[in-house]
Amino acid sequence: MKNSNREPESLLPLTPAVFHILLALADSERHGYGIMQEIAARTGGSVRMGPGTLYGSIKRMLADDLIEPSEERPDPALDDERRRYYRLTDRGRRVLTAEARRLEQVVHIAQSKHVLHKPGMIGGM
Amino acid sequence: MKPGRSIWMLSASVRCYRMLLLSYPPAFREVFAQEMTQTFRDCSRQAIVEHGDQGLARLWSLTLYDLAATATAERVRTLMTSVKQLFGITSASSIAAEGSLLMFNLTIAQQTDIGRTRQSNEDSMLSFVPDDPRELSRKGALFVVSDGLGGHALGEVASEMAAQVTRDSYYQDADNDRAASLQRAIKQANSAIVTRAAQNEAWSGMGTTVVAAVLRDDTVYAANVGDSRVYIVRGNTIRQITEDHSWVAQQISAGNLTPEEARDHPKRNIIYRCLGEDKNVEVDLFTEQVQDGDLLVLCTDGLSGLVTDDELRATVQQYRPEESVQRLVERANENGGPDNITAIVVRVALEKEPAQI
Repeated sequence: MKNSNREPESLLPLTPAVFHILLALADSERHGYGIMQEIAARTGGSVRMGPGTLYGSIKRMLADDLIEPSEERPDPALDDERRRYYRLTDRGRRVLTAEARRLEQVVHIAQSKHVLHKPGMIGGM
Repeated sequence: MKPGRSIWMLSASVRCYRMLLLSYPPAFREVFAQEMTQTFRDCSRQAIVEHGDQGLARLWSLTLYDLAATATAERVRTLMTSVKQLFGITSASSIAAEGSLLMFNLTIAQQTDIGRTRQSNEDSMLSFVPDDPRELSRKGALFVVSDGLGGHALGEVASEMAAQVTRDSYYQDADNDRAASLQRAIKQANSAIVTRAAQNEAWSGMGTTVVAAVLRDDTVYAANVGDSRVYIVRGNTIRQITEDHSWVAQQISAGNLTPEEARDHPKRNIIYRCLGEDKNVEVDLFTEQVQDGDLLVLCTDGLSGLVTDDELRATVQQYRPEESVQRLVERANENGGPDNITAIVVRVALEKEPAQI
């Protein structure tokens, strides 16, 4: 837990891989493959992550106390002892919120410069 | 695609991937190789089911790119750690003690090694000399060695937490009583590990030894829990400053075993105190005056159990610290290397000159 004494803001900005992994775990505990599937589904396949990127990120996120292994097996159909499930820590959730806020501010800047339309005017994404 | 062929392709694909995983550093593989293989198997299965040969080919092109980039990154990270340790080796620093005009020149070298038989290195080590001269004169320099217990990632996490939390807590503590501050820092490391272990089942059973030494002015404060040690070498003598919390150490002090018998005793690895076990832990503290030319050695039992005190003394006296740590690790490996091996060697030079701040 190298950095767990630091404020969430000190970890920002997150790498895209770390941000997507945190988002994937925001509503459910998942194993590695489950994280990959969730990211692919949410981004319509535009974000694809290989196992190396996934587990390299997981390793650092464990060290930073953003996620932790879970003893529960929420998915009995796919259960296998080789699968380890991960979940957000409280700190991971704080960091995720802080990053989402930061991105929200970036979006506001983009809107103020008319790079993006304001919500309500978007004609679908 | 025929079912027989797709099963064959799946298993061939997974076999290839498992072989390619060898390009990651061993410590990374130890923790994640199995999960990564399983994840890759799932990806392969999905690719074959949905898109057959082409799906698998696409998966491989993504995976190879990913593997090349991340395996290199993990290797570079491992290398960076070694390079930083190398800098630790050559960094000499001056401690100007407040008011007393006493200068320290420290030559520090540290090395950790997986040994010959273990699958992972659960030892951690840390040398910290504050850049800020005021911080240095207030709190001194800190050295920590810890030997994790619990197997797999657990021991690594516990020993790393012991080193990091001890350092962070010690330097954040405003108390100028260094001995009390060091004991408190180790107790905080213990609490952090106990808390982490209690968070969920997967983390339970983690523990670690710890030995820490603070060098400030002409005093060394050594604190320990478990059987990692601090030695002081002065002239032709070597003396263990700390007392092991081990079963064999108890037997030696009770007169039931000689130190030589203890060395080969089947129960030599049993310790009765460690971090991570209980919220309350007793931390022993030892205080020594240091002199010009003294050498401090911090080590885990992977070294002290395999190299005699006399060999240790002769090595650190004869060679510079960076060569000493290499030779000591080599020696422990030659003697079988049954455990992880870690050593920090610090040469202390005192100069009674006006301090330059």
